[in-house]
Amino acid sequence: MGPAAKEKRKEEAKGLKRVALIGNPNVGKSVIFGLLTGKYATVSNYPGTTVEVSFGNINLNGTRFVLVDTPGVNNLLPMSEDERVTRDILLSERPALVVQVGDAKNLKRTLVITIQLAEMGLPVVLDLNMEDEARDRGITIDKEALKRLLGADVVGTVAPEKKGVKELKNAILEDSKVPGFVIDYGPVMEEYAEKITALLPKTNISRRSLALMILAGDESLAGWLKSRLDGEKLEAIESFREECALKMGRPVGLHINEIRLKKASEITESVVKKTGEKEHRFIQLVSKISMHPLWGLPVLLLVLYGIYEFVGVFGAGTLVGLVEEKLFGEYLNPMFTKVIDLLVPVPLIRDLIVGEYGLVTMALTYAIGIILPITTTFFIAFAILEDSGYLPRLAIMSNRLFNIMGLSGKAVLPMVLGLGCGTMAVMTTRILEGKRDRLIATFLLALAIPCSAQLGVILGMLSSLSALAMAIWATCVMVVLLFSGWLAARILPGERGEFFLEIPPLRKPALANVAVKTAGRVTWYLKEAVPLFILGTFILFVLDKLALLKVIHKIASPVIVGLLALPEKATEAFIIGFLRRDYGAAGLFAMFQDGLLTPTQALVSLVTITLFIPCLASFFMIIKERGMKMALSMLAIITPVAIAFGALLNLALRSLNIAV
Amino acid sequence: MSDELKKRAAPETEKAQFEDEALEAIWEIAEQKKEVTFAELNDDLNDEQGVLNMVADGLINVKDGAVEFTDEGKRRARDITRRHRLAERLFADVLALTDYERDACRLEHAISPEVEEAICTLLGHPPTCPHGRPIPRGQCCKLYVKKVTPLVVSMMEAEVGAPYRVVFLRGPMIDRLASIGLVAGSDIKLQQKRPSFVLTIDETTIAIEEDVAKGIFVKKHETENGK
Repeated sequence: MGPAAKEKRKEEAKGLKRVALIGNPNVGKSVIFGLLTGKYATVSNYPGTTVEVSFGNINLNGTRFVLVDTPGVNNLLPMSEDERVTRDILLSERPALVVQVGDAKNLKRTLVITIQLAEMGLPVVLDLNMEDEARDRGITIDKEALKRLLGADVVGTVAPEKKGVKELKNAILEDSKVPGFVIDYGPVMEEYAEKITALLPKTNISRRSLALMILAGDESLAGWLKSRLDGEKLEAIESFREECALKMGRPVGLHINEIRLKKASEITESVVKKTGEKEHRFIQLVSKISMHPLWGLPVLLLVLYGIYEFVGVFGAGTLVGLVEEKLFGEYLNPMFTKVIDLLVPVPLIRDLIVGEYGLVTMALTYAIGIILPITTTFFIAFAILEDSGYLPRLAIMSNRLFNIMGLSGKAVLPMVLGLGCGTMAVMTTRILEGKRDRLIATFLLALAIPCSAQLGVILGMLSSLSALAMAIWATCVMVVLLFSGWLAARILPGERGEFFLEIPPLRKPALANVAVKTAGRVTWYLKEAVPLFILGTFILFVLDKLALLKVIHKIASPVIVGLLALPEKATEAFIIGFLRRDYGAAGLFAMFQDGLLTPTQALVSLVTITLFIPCLASFFMIIKERGMKMALSMLAIITPVAIAFGALLNLALRSLNIAV
Repeated sequence: MSDELKKRAAPETEKAQFEDEALEAIWEIAEQKKEVTFAELNDDLNDEQGVLNMVADGLINVKDGAVEFTDEGKRRARDITRRHRLAERLFADVLALTDYERDACRLEHAISPEVEEAICTLLGHPPTCPHGRPIPRGQCCKLYVKKVTPLVVSMMEAEVGAPYRVVFLRGPMIDRLASIGLVAGSDIKLQQKRPSFVLTIDETTIAIEEDVAKGIFVKKHETENGK
């Protein structure tokens, strides 16, 4: 548990009730979280997962609660890591209330979870979200009847329009009951459930529900059990489980799920009326095209072009121009410099703040002036893609391509995010199934995916070179990406992660949702990444003052000059590039504008720096996610590969006499 | 059971089993257009008396050292071969077993004609066994020429857009499929096969790959009109 959770623990001790937010993936849970807490859930909401568990405070009519957002689940009999995480939260946190957010048009699946919550003995408020979509398909739910059948409160919401939120808040305030479900799983199951229940320790959730999980073969409970029971009891439980499995003759988990599904079906049929499909023909058509093996491609290209225009041209061009050049360049920096020069007598401190590697003149200018506008526009574009439901379709289109790199199509999410911010992308690799997939994705992100800050500068530079240069650059990066992935897939043992994706309906992205998600990510960025950039700048400052920069320069130059045939000054760009990706590219850009680089040199330097090691922030994130050993190995592999490839390109261009 | 079927009914005595095996062996050799010699057959089966009995029972003739079927013998050989190879198909395709030789050998003696036809229909009147050898046609296969499709197919062979009902599931991820409502008995629709399999169950749409799709066996809805 992280520091945030520990903090909340303290709050709990003060007597605050905890409310857990549970639901299937892609039902709008995190938006509801945002509406209730006024806070934005952190990071990824890929149809599939909330990457981290978020906590927020709600204040309703004076009563305060702590709201816990959980990863989306399809079942509390865990079959994926997210489901395990959510199940464990319920097991260890004992929420006073569970707010289950469900998809109004998919009541049956929603109820499968409600049933399990009831069996666990948890009070539930059922929030049927996306009622507008259900209506569009001619689906209406008799909420009163459902309330009666469940014995629990049922509200309906349309989250982006804030409809029904008041009713939801009221329902949370009221005393909620545990839904009254009693399901019979058959004589064999019931017998063994009883036997195991008798052996289990008293706990936050109903022991019978735990017994059912154990019978279903849930191995993730092993650790929890070991710490609470002695060896004898553990053995007894295990032998009961085996006996039951043998007697049943078919997978127990499947049996349990089928019975639950049947019960859910019964209830659904009695409260839902379907009045024929009314979903807009147009949207259906667009949806079909977006996944079509042939027509899906132009759609994909169109989307990519849209992103390029919005992020690359508007974000990296117009906005950066405004903020960095005008705001910082013409107003803030000169102003700061003047003020510091006046107030601070010590030249060292002066330099620290407004010098060449100054905290304001370099760190803040670049963090706020360049990176923030670009990443914000990127996050907006990304949130639009997410909310519209296009991302999983993108995963389908790119699945085959990703298979070559040893990844499943799901990896399209972190890879595309990597074009925005590599640090965030590495974090998002959590949604990939299997260590192998995550490792390969992280490696490829570090090697061949340039982040938006860098990308902006690189594309700018390439466009002032020639179309050929851009083509060569793009080809080089693609080739390295595909080949490295392919090679990594061959070398690393294990199977590719499974491809199992839920495809939500295509919908018009709701501005509110986009705003909530973007705000969340930008906040994350400001809190997590910017301090690292400041740290990086500080390190540069220290290196410079200790004249170590010159030393590194001397050591690295021969490589840069000899192998890559670049002027010595370019070394600086590479060194700085580690601490700040965009600096590297920007440094080269400056050299190019000053006429210090020939077109060929420019191209070689650009390709090399694109492949070069990731920035400090990303590096720290890789350590955090994959471990120090892996991170260092990646560093050790990427550095020579980038330089070797650059050298190769240089050789090829010169010997083939290609002018760019 | 009609007289005809009684005649074809799988015999259960040891002698009958031996005869079946022998007839099948002869059939196989004959398939490869090779001549079956008496000496060879004795070597294979290691029971000269048994083979001679078969001549006595009117199942085979021996002419100039070569073994030939009588009409009766040929009919029986054909039937038993058909059952054996259908059993192999059943074990290999539907049950996904790799070590099924012995069981297929056993099953061929125990299947009744009705069961044989049901298996053949279920599998869609397969023309060959898993080893590629032809399965002799049966009555049901003749009708098949008029009927369009086999009864139960895997998602791999299903038609895009047609309404199906899931008959059974096997393979990886059936737990996760169950989680989203895909179980035996659910109504399912195939949206596309490439670049991935996309299917819809109620209001849920998922994308999966071939390895999972080929384990979902479905049956077409017969009653629906324009649903």
